[in-house]
Amino acid sequence: MAADAAALFAAHQHRLFKYFCRAVGQVDTARDLTQDVFLRVSRTTIPVAGDGEVRAWLFQIARNLALDHHRARLRRPDLSVLTHESARSPSQEVDLAVNKALAALADLDRDAFLMREVVGLSYEEIGKACGLTPDAVRSRIHRARLQLREALAGPIATRQTVPMRQSGRQA
Amino acid sequence: MSDTHEVISAFLDDERFDSTVLVEALSEPAGRDLLIDLIALRHLTQTDSKDAHVLNDHKPWRSSLRALVAVAAVLVGLVGGYLVGERRRDVTMSAAPPATRVVQSPAAWQDIPVGRTR
Repeated sequence: MAADAAALFAAHQHRLFKYFCRAVGQVDTARDLTQDVFLRVSRTTIPVAGDGEVRAWLFQIARNLALDHHRARLRRPDLSVLTHESARSPSQEVDLAVNKALAALADLDRDAFLMREVVGLSYEEIGKACGLTPDAVRSRIHRARLQLREALAGPIATRQTVPMRQSGRQA
Repeated sequence: MSDTHEVISAFLDDERFDSTVLVEALSEPAGRDLLIDLIALRHLTQTDSKDAHVLNDHKPWRSSLRALVAVAAVLVGLVGGYLVGERRRDVTMSAAPPATRVVQSPAAWQDIPVGRTR
């Protein structure tokens, strides 16, 4: 079982980390939460199911950890984001804007969006991870995109003027 | 933006969608603008300057230090090997090794002057 947990973690740790980076907006916290997922997975029984269902189960754990983190941060606001404003590079400014816009979304909208856009899960897998139907997932992702499009109009316009890398699913 | 543009999201996500609805949505300039914006948004979200941070906390200076240590170790090995070789060569050249066996010449031995063959 431990070997399975290790293999599962090895296969998904980078995606988990990227998800947490956007979900919580801090690298150190994202790293800690990624390790927490591993701890939780190693203490429990991994469901015997297909890859998609196991991925959904894994990101359900990740989502719960991110939500716990957000609840804890509401009780104890993090002021570190406000420091070193002058030292930020333009790309860091955009990162920060993206993270702020993501933080302004409803929890479920944000998680559905991140699981699709950053992790590459299918609507069905996201539905299982978030307790939603695939149709509801599509609606929430679209709603999140519209809100983000409005909040990030400036960076989006800038992005359209520079050559972009190849896009597509990450799964 | 109307919810009918959800089909653009589904298309972008490689999920199932109604092609007729998609054609209709993309026939409007607003639909096309949305598609372009959503692609840009995808790149904004997926491109993260924090990606440079590796999960296992590998710091660049650490790998440089490791490379330096490896190069130093190889140099020390080469120079050390050369010096040890030099010392051994000095020892061998200063004193000839003692004979282990005396070869007896045959009885019919005779000297042949230089320049003359038999």
